[in-house]
Amino acid sequence: MSAKVAPPDNDVLWARGLDRAHRGSPALAGVSIAVRDGEILVVAGARGSGKTTLLRCLSGRLRPDAGEVWFNSLPLHVLAPRARDRLRRDRFGWVGSTPELVPELTAWENAALPLLLSGVSGRAARRTALEWLERLDVGDHAAKRPAALLQSERQRVAIARSLVHQPTVLFADEPTAPLHRHERTAVLRTLTTAARTHGITVVLTAQEPLGLPRPAGTPAPADRRSPEIPDADRFLTLVDGRLTAGGSRSAGPRDTAPCSLSA
Amino acid sequence: MLALRLIRGARPTAQLRRLLVALAAGGVGFLLLGALGYALDHPGDPGPALVRLLWCLIPLAAVVQLAVAVARRDPGAEQRAGLDAAGLGPAGLVRLAAVSTAVSMLLGSALALLVFLHLRGDVTGMPFDGSAGDGLAARRDLPVPATLTLLLLPPTAAVVATARALRAGPPAAGADGGRRRQGVPVTLPWGAALVATGLTVEGYAARDLPAGAGPSEGMVTGVLAGWLLIAAGLVLAGPAVTELAGRLLTAWRPGAVRLLAGRVLLADAGRLGGPVGVLTAVAWSALTAALLYGAELLGPFTVLGALVVVGCSVGTVWVTAGRGREERVATSDGLRDLGASVGLLRRAAALRVAVPALLLLPLVLAVARLATLPLAG
Repeated sequence: MSAKVAPPDNDVLWARGLDRAHRGSPALAGVSIAVRDGEILVVAGARGSGKTTLLRCLSGRLRPDAGEVWFNSLPLHVLAPRARDRLRRDRFGWVGSTPELVPELTAWENAALPLLLSGVSGRAARRTALEWLERLDVGDHAAKRPAALLQSERQRVAIARSLVHQPTVLFADEPTAPLHRHERTAVLRTLTTAARTHGITVVLTAQEPLGLPRPAGTPAPADRRSPEIPDADRFLTLVDGRLTAGGSRSAGPRDTAPCSLSA
Repeated sequence: MLALRLIRGARPTAQLRRLLVALAAGGVGFLLLGALGYALDHPGDPGPALVRLLWCLIPLAAVVQLAVAVARRDPGAEQRAGLDAAGLGPAGLVRLAAVSTAVSMLLGSALALLVFLHLRGDVTGMPFDGSAGDGLAARRDLPVPATLTLLLLPPTAAVVATARALRAGPPAAGADGGRRRQGVPVTLPWGAALVATGLTVEGYAARDLPAGAGPSEGMVTGVLAGWLLIAAGLVLAGPAVTELAGRLLTAWRPGAVRLLAGRVLLADAGRLGGPVGVLTAVAWSALTAALLYGAELLGPFTVLGALVVVGCSVGTVWVTAGRGREERVATSDGLRDLGASVGLLRRAAALRVAVPALLLLPLVLAVARLATLPLAG
């Protein structure tokens, strides 16, 4: 990618030459990525390949050591901390690979937290949160605390929390990791459907089952194929902190070179 | 040996906590030796010496409480996971904590002995032209068995208490809020009843005393018993007031800050309430003593004792609150992921300190005023 100053119009999020160390060890090395408005982008990679660090850099949670991150026309990498926090609070949603709910708050209060943080009145926040909990099949548990829920229910609450304020971009860092296999597809479908209906851009990471070396000639097991994300528009693969060529599900004019491999 | 290695490599804050324990233990050891010195100076009159020794029990209890709180805090969650992976079971952790407590406490005792001997002039001759040796039996030989017994008393008490506390159960497992408060509101009526009884007992005992009696005449058994009851009542009120603060914070449609501050207080009331109650009782006793007797009470031993007690109770609250903070690191991180600013988290933390303090301050002032009434005449 040549020295481009502003992102193309339909890229909602755009990063170039990201370097970032994680606790002193290099995690990202020269990653460039462009996320288009309304798409569902999957970044696949093994554990430790830098998926979480990439998502945290893109969402402004971490400042890259080198490189640029742009959200629309806002340079996230130079934005003042307060402005960045406000932007992240209002425009971004986050689901982690563990629910990370506040243990002292009930399920609906947890789900309503992004709204409460931006100063929405308690009553309105509660109504919206309850709607989202209902949509994610945990409406019955709204008054319970996280400790009284199953891990999968907690994760559903966390997903409700990430969607409740209808963010522009939703970052989902292995959102189905704490779920059992039969629940994964359902939860992912709920998430992607919600994103499609509300025009939310999704950047989602998934564990790529590189797996163990298997004897020559044996086929890969059925459940170890590349991550089963039903609605994804594009796949990218992260290997040791570098993006490699990704594929795309939906054919589009710009899909052939959606992200650069520049260093 | 592992315990010593862990102590050596610990972080500065952990070292600071241990230093606090060692200093407090040193203070208590010096107070105990001071009582011994008084007894040696007055061989024919064991009564006042015994009273002095009994007064030492209060700083001793304070330092044991602090030592237990520090032992619960270390090793931290990260270190605990590492030790667990290395194959150190729960019993091993208790042993580690006991050794680490013993090291800090023994260090304190040694410090106390050194200072005591120095002031008596046993090491380098009398310092300060001999004036410091007053009341320390400077001109008499120190009985070694008695000295050792007194100096080993704080470390033994702290180690036993630490082992018991840590073996009783794993310290507050989990950030999942599994610890629900039990019986916290029950303590409020008990606390109120104890304070009322204490005030009555004190007033009854003080009815025959002359107005404006000094500490020597004023501190009769009945008055002291009343004060003990009041202090116990205030300790019991601690958890209830902490919980009340949490309830108040979350009342009337709370926003994010009040919700986060209040709910954490509610969840922590059981654990933090005890140390807060002790701190309240200590603040009340200091205020009452100052209001009644003021400068009459000032002396090297009373000041040292007061410093130890106040330092230990403040330290215990600090260490216990720090444990809660450490357990909430993941939660705070999650909140930051949602875009909660650092300022917002700080505001919530400030509210968690300010609201209980605002509730307790008038309580302490009122009870101190009531307690001084019968004696002020």
